[in-house]
Amino acid sequence: MSDSTVVPPASVVLVSGGSRGLGLAIVTDLLASGLKVAAFARTVTPELTALGEKYPEHLHYGSVDINDPKAGQDFVKEVEAKLGPIDGLVNNAAVGQDSLHVHTSADQVAAIIQTNLTSPLVLTRFVLRRMLAKGLKGRIVNVTSICAQRGYPGLVAYSATKGGMDSATRSLARELGGRVLANSVAPGFFASEMSAVLGQTQLDQIVRRTPTGHLTEPDEVVPVVRMLLLDNTNINGQVLVVDGAASI
Amino acid sequence: MGLVERDKVRELMGEVMKAQGRTLPSDDAADLREIGFRSLDFSELALRVEDELGDELNFDAPGLRRITTVGDVLDFIEQLQTA
Ligand SMILES: NC(=O)c1ccc[n+]([C@@H]2O[C@H](COP(=O)([O-])OP(=O)(O)OC[C@H]3O[C@@H](n4cnc5c(N)ncnc54)[C@H](OP(=O)(O)O)[C@@H]3O)[C@@H](O)[C@H]2O)c1
Repeated sequence: MSDSTVVPPASVVLVSGGSRGLGLAIVTDLLASGLKVAAFARTVTPELTALGEKYPEHLHYGSVDINDPKAGQDFVKEVEAKLGPIDGLVNNAAVGQDSLHVHTSADQVAAIIQTNLTSPLVLTRFVLRRMLAKGLKGRIVNVTSICAQRGYPGLVAYSATKGGMDSATRSLARELGGRVLANSVAPGFFASEMSAVLGQTQLDQIVRRTPTGHLTEPDEVVPVVRMLLLDNTNINGQVLVVDGAASI
Repeated sequence: MGLVERDKVRELMGEVMKAQGRTLPSDDAADLREIGFRSLDFSELALRVEDELGDELNFDAPGLRRITTVGDVLDFIEQLQTA
């Protein structure tokens, strides 16, 4: 492989929605791997603050609403000043849904699309512009969902956004001509604030249909994200499903 | 916003069931699974109530999952209108 096509491991990674759930697990893991990490969410949690105390030189965090592009851009500039240029982006922040499409207001549909599709694309655009302008190579990981590939009632708009991100991943991989590796990680359902709306019956049903016999754990998704950010693989434009074969 | 009264909602619920060749029992304690009133039937009822109201009644699914009897349906629609 010629050097010109090798994308080095990411060294400064921005994780959206890094305050809890899977995002927090990703931030924790990347810090433990020695990376510099930036994380934002609307609300900074005690867990994120504690990580900030443990890794003062390696973690930069703040309160940012991804739907406020100016705040997002200011945050990216802060990160660059404190940690150095960003060469890894994990689009993890998202809002869930649990309402039948016919009973979801048009405003609510628009809000889900804004948070889960439009804003991550706008953030990605901004981070890529900075990366390319500096002549850097980099890595993008979009956290999507099995909902992008399989149907689930109550998740119509949410599924559309996740499918949109998977499609964007493929086109980004093509468009960026090997300078940036862009991939999606699509977890099955895991326990978090987002999935707390699912009833016990539904959770039991998912487990019953999963050959590995358990819901996906954030800790099982984290190594896949880490691999896409750090390892020397030629994986590009792919969606990696982590769901214990529940959807197979 | 006006209010579609409980009796009227019951009448609309009866219409939804009648269109499927079923009858709505008069007992509020009747079990929805036993009478064959499923979640999409609830959607149809809610949309008929919206038509009467001239306004949308949007709601999340978790509330729906707690509904098990005819009385629960009538209570839920009442709560939606007063929320
Ligand atoms: N849970 C599941 O079963 C499941 C399954 C498949 C895929 N996923 C995906 O995995 C990812 C993480 O999900 P999770 O379950 O860990 O969710 P979660 O616990 O609800 O965490 C979501 C994170 O995103 C942040 N966020 C939400 N809206 C935001 C906004 N407007 N601006 C900035 N940050 C925002 C949240 O913080 P604030 O609310 O404080 O802003 C939080 O940090 C999401 O992309 C989700 O779609 C989840």
